[in-house]
Amino acid sequence: MSEPINADRGLTYPGNLGCPGCGASIAINHALKGLGEKTVLVIPASCFAIMAGPYPMTALKVPILHTAFASAAVTAAGVRAGLDMRGDAETTVVAWAGDGGTFDIGIQSLSGTAERNDDIIFVCYDNEAYMNTGVQRSSATPYGTRTTTTPGSGWKRTRKKNIMEIMAAHRIPYAATANIAFPDDFIRKFAKARETRGGTRFIHVFSSCPTGWGVASSLSIKIARLATRTNIFPLYEIENGTDWTLNMEGDLPVGDYLAPQGRFRHLGPTDLEQIQQEVDANLALIQERVAATRVRQAHLKLEI
Amino acid sequence: MIASLRPTLLFPVTRMSTEPNRTGSWRFVRPVYRFKTAPCSAACPAGIDIPTVEMLASRGQMHDAWVHICRENPFPSVCGRVCFHPCEDACNRAELDAPVAINALERYIGDAGLAARSPLPFSTAAPLQRQVAIVGAGPAGLAAGYFLTQLGIAAEVFEGSEEPGGVLRWGIPSYRLPKAVLAAEIDRIEKAGVTIHRGRAITPDTLAELAARYDAVLVGSGLAATLRLNISGEAIIGDGLSFLKQVQTGSAPAVGGAVAVIGGGNTAIDVARTLLRQGAQPTIVYRRRRQDMPAFGHEIAAAEAEGVKIVELMAPVSAAAEGDGVHLEVQPMTAAEVGADGRVRAVPAKQPPQTMRFNAVFSGIGAEVAEPWHRPSGEADTIRLSHCAISCAPRTVGYIGDPVTTENSVAHAIGSGKQAAIALHALFTDGPEAVVPAVDRCRVGPGPALSLEIYLDGERSHRTIRMVAFADINTDYFSRTSRCAIPALAPAAAAAGFHEAVSTLRPREALAEAARCFNCGICNDCDNCRIFCPEQTILVDEGGRRSVDLDYCKGCGICTVECPRCAMDMEEESA
Repeated sequence: MSEPINADRGLTYPGNLGCPGCGASIAINHALKGLGEKTVLVIPASCFAIMAGPYPMTALKVPILHTAFASAAVTAAGVRAGLDMRGDAETTVVAWAGDGGTFDIGIQSLSGTAERNDDIIFVCYDNEAYMNTGVQRSSATPYGTRTTTTPGSGWKRTRKKNIMEIMAAHRIPYAATANIAFPDDFIRKFAKARETRGGTRFIHVFSSCPTGWGVASSLSIKIARLATRTNIFPLYEIENGTDWTLNMEGDLPVGDYLAPQGRFRHLGPTDLEQIQQEVDANLALIQERVAATRVRQAHLKLEI
Repeated sequence: MIASLRPTLLFPVTRMSTEPNRTGSWRFVRPVYRFKTAPCSAACPAGIDIPTVEMLASRGQMHDAWVHICRENPFPSVCGRVCFHPCEDACNRAELDAPVAINALERYIGDAGLAARSPLPFSTAAPLQRQVAIVGAGPAGLAAGYFLTQLGIAAEVFEGSEEPGGVLRWGIPSYRLPKAVLAAEIDRIEKAGVTIHRGRAITPDTLAELAARYDAVLVGSGLAATLRLNISGEAIIGDGLSFLKQVQTGSAPAVGGAVAVIGGGNTAIDVARTLLRQGAQPTIVYRRRRQDMPAFGHEIAAAEAEGVKIVELMAPVSAAAEGDGVHLEVQPMTAAEVGADGRVRAVPAKQPPQTMRFNAVFSGIGAEVAEPWHRPSGEADTIRLSHCAISCAPRTVGYIGDPVTTENSVAHAIGSGKQAAIALHALFTDGPEAVVPAVDRCRVGPGPALSLEIYLDGERSHRTIRMVAFADINTDYFSRTSRCAIPALAPAAAAAGFHEAVSTLRPREALAEAARCFNCGICNDCDNCRIFCPEQTILVDEGGRRSVDLDYCKGCGICTVECPRCAMDMEEESA
């Protein structure tokens, strides 16, 4: 598509097939503001594969390559290699996968790509289950969630996989979390990822799903904001796998986030207490790493 | 067959956008931009568009903010000093931390307008070939003249004394309102086209002449006579209002030592604080409890801080000259049940009367009309409105200001002048039946405040009368901040002279304070609706006005929830 960018609508076309209030729609709008028009997206099986346009339609003004579920990262690396051969160093290649295509089915190729440190940005827009196929649990589904595969009293009793620690362990140049409810922080991180060239960059995006979570579509942003304000989804950045920065600290109890959602409605006070402890411990761990980073950087300065 | 061995690239490529998917058809509720009424603006007797004023001020657009105030009130610098600011009592921000300092901001913006010597803004109302005479150049008369001029009606004000301003000039002491500020704002009203005839006292005879010569006369002579106490020895009790006027003209008698001021209203406070500045030690003697005093709370607090004593629950019974001084006999009172007026009554206590000794006693218990013709006489064909009354036969004579308003304040007087101007405009253009509907149409929210901008079908006329409540505000976007401290002289320094006790905010404080405003019910271009719309359906035109592309809006409602200030609503789609 070579038509001029519509200033009102940025790099998207209206008419995508996402549900009303879809967090992923908001995520792509924010992301493209940070990435710009010289971007190629690689999209594996996901809600967004449908939203980006059923063939022969496209909802985006940037090129998209649809790929198989397991192979978003390596396909993106291949597109990068092709662009390099053509001498196009300007275009950014972005793999845009859901939590299934990242945490579960996509992790092998993602890990391989990160280990080779291929020059791509991998974005996981995380709505914490397989929403496109009918809300089945994934390894990104948090403790306490009811899904169609963890229904009734069989709600999920294992914790959410910590994808950020996995990616940090690859010592990639840049990894960050971002939340659709904090657009300035979100867009800044995408711009930073674009500018950090020469290696794999990873952005973990919190993307609400009113349909799968049992939340009114109008509260999509409100609930996403609560995820960060309750420290359930802290906003932070990791440079080179070791240098941690916490962007903001929440001030609310986890119940404020959990109670309004249908998927958590069965949780009692003891469950909330347990989740609160887990969240507090996780935040404390991040803070420790941030403090350790500061100490290390201060030593480095002294040595210089 | 080598050619057939060449691989064919079977690579399906999209050739069209998703625009043919009119996802708007999914929708069963739609977002609409529906601006509402901010509670402060409905509480303002002058009907100022406070959320817009503060929005402009927070951006540093002080001139624009000033223009917005002046559309509804030609006295921003005066009101920024003397208004009792009911707007702040209504402010939704009080539920988060503390109300916005609207009064101090009005003063800042007003003073910026004075410093810039900006002329008053003009409306585009078509001129009517009508002339109105106004009796009395107090706040009601001057406001009426200003608003009539705005509506294309020539206005001439007849003032008995040599200086216009009425109670602003003679009643309010200069430590609250410097006369230079008043003179500058009146000067601007004259430059806007209002003629003021000084030294032209009106009598019933000359009133009849005016009524015959002009298309209408408005009587705004105020309450110029002090109410009588009706106690024995009243002749030796000084008249507080006259005293305030004498201080202004420099002809006040020398008073020192212990002086009593009888009353609990603003006049009593003004008299007491003025006496303090003359070197006396004033004591306010009030028949009810301190919390029942009708004076503004901040004025009572300032008076006490400066050293004015307040004796509550003491009703004067008689006064008698005793040597150089006065013996004031007072009856101790006690609080009783709530009376018909909603206030706690005071009844005599069991204790016997006491005698208090003072060098002089002043009364400041309130005022009444100086002449019976200063208020409407009750003719049958009088149109009675909330802030004015207009009798249409045999001649059109209207009454404005304190004699016809339920509450007596400068802001109410301005509202009264505005209401009369709108009523006369409606009367002249469409006849007597049009008056009440015209006034009803331009109410701010549920009223009774009126807006000239609404009457002239300006932008404000599109707001609904629904008032924004604190629960309508999305407080995710507001964190607690402290209200600005209003710069004031230390009480002792203030009491030492007649310079202003309170001063104007500094620029940085004013910007920060204006930014605290929620801007309830209006759009301040925060752009949340557009930033968060999943479908990017919020369109902005060149004038910055937003609309929703209903071809694609799925009706999720995020825009309405994320609007911090309730400028949007969701409404059901009609089938």
